[in-house]
Amino acid sequence: MAEYRAVDESLGVSDIAFGLTTLYSGSQVVVELRGEVDVLTAATFSCVLDALFEAGGRDIVVDAAELEFIDASGLGVIGPMSSRLRDSGGVLTIRSPSPMVRKVLNVTEMGDLIEHRTTDPTSAVLGPEQRSGDASALVTDAIPETDASDAVPLPAFPAGNDVIDAALRLVTSLARATIGGADGVSVSLTRHGQLTTVAASDETIAQMDRDQYATGEGPCLSAAAEGHWFHVESLADESRWPQFVPRAIKDGIASILSTPLIVSSRPVGALNIYSNTDHAFGPLDQELAALFASEASSILAEARTDMTTDEVAQRLREALTTRKVIANAQGVIMGQQGISADAAYANLRQTAKRTGVNVSEAAAAVLGSVLRSDLIGQVRR
Amino acid sequence: MTEPRSTLERARIEVGLSHSELWFRYFELGGMSTALEVEAYLYDALTPTDHDRDMVATALNERFAELGGDHPIAYTDDGDLDSIAR
Repeated sequence: MAEYRAVDESLGVSDIAFGLTTLYSGSQVVVELRGEVDVLTAATFSCVLDALFEAGGRDIVVDAAELEFIDASGLGVIGPMSSRLRDSGGVLTIRSPSPMVRKVLNVTEMGDLIEHRTTDPTSAVLGPEQRSGDASALVTDAIPETDASDAVPLPAFPAGNDVIDAALRLVTSLARATIGGADGVSVSLTRHGQLTTVAASDETIAQMDRDQYATGEGPCLSAAAEGHWFHVESLADESRWPQFVPRAIKDGIASILSTPLIVSSRPVGALNIYSNTDHAFGPLDQELAALFASEASSILAEARTDMTTDEVAQRLREALTTRKVIANAQGVIMGQQGISADAAYANLRQTAKRTGVNVSEAAAAVLGSVLRSDLIGQVRR
Repeated sequence: MTEPRSTLERARIEVGLSHSELWFRYFELGGMSTALEVEAYLYDALTPTDHDRDMVATALNERFAELGGDHPIAYTDDGDLDSIAR
């Protein structure tokens, strides 16, 4: 209990230890990091980088000018993403790291990712402690503002259908990262009367979809046509779709979960999750698949109504980042107090109300104080 | 709850949020219902769980706060009756 009170008291505005803002400049995407990236916040950072990559971002700059601390989990995000970008003709650059972050990057042989240009002289003089004084700026920045007036245009994303596709690719990459046992995810949509794959996590998966279109059968087609989900627990034991199944087995696929996308009560496509293992998907995976399918459906439905498609894509990216922050804080409170998820949420909400901040700000403060006490613990040890 | 569900819909209109913007905010807070379901909650066509209902209320209250107001919509687990909308 005492521990929680410490969290509660630290809900001051200067205690948010992590912030992230994404800016677009031509084809370049700049991810500004503030505060501390460690095991708790690395997930958010990773999620954002994945989404940018999936959405076609190939020139990604991580602006570290206000990054105070990065640990192995943060480096574990940067390293693989840098290789992934390099493999696809892109580049990841780290801009303006503090001397401490620079040292960590050099030690881990990631120093060559640092951008070659004159760094701001103040960043060489001011240590992280001095800079934390202006941390109040993090409060509004930690969570992307919902106000559309500061929405940055998205030149990195083409207009029209392509923007919807970019948002769907984001859902695909998140589903791939979230659902245990998923080796690949795709979204197929009916366009001009024909099913088309608009997002696929890799070429094998795109081929799986094409095999179904070519044979005119398969769980994806069935889900999109009939509007309910099709779960193939083990392709080896599957008797439906006799033409498609052997092709899938040949490509190493062992189980498939296809969930329909529904717009205005009508199936318009499917979210397909593939695994190389049989019986890979349990009830929780089915629930998550349904959630991601409903997100994809919402993107399609919203695209027809009062928001433009790039607003939808932008809002979705912001919303997913915020969700992650709240869910992480919820987890921390559950762990500290031994209470249920709903009770932890209510707790967060009451704290937010009492202190006059948003739930997302209260969540960021909870994470911030945990990080801070961890760091203090490390220093004292 | 003492208040009718339509309080949520009246509040939505009062703070000038579109249904889709309200859904985004609800989703951002961790909500698991679809946009259509949330709309159905507001029109009383579906009954949300207390947790879901409170999440919609939170989205609306945060909007009230943005506009310089208080948190007028009470939560199902609120002990404090002062804050219930008049």
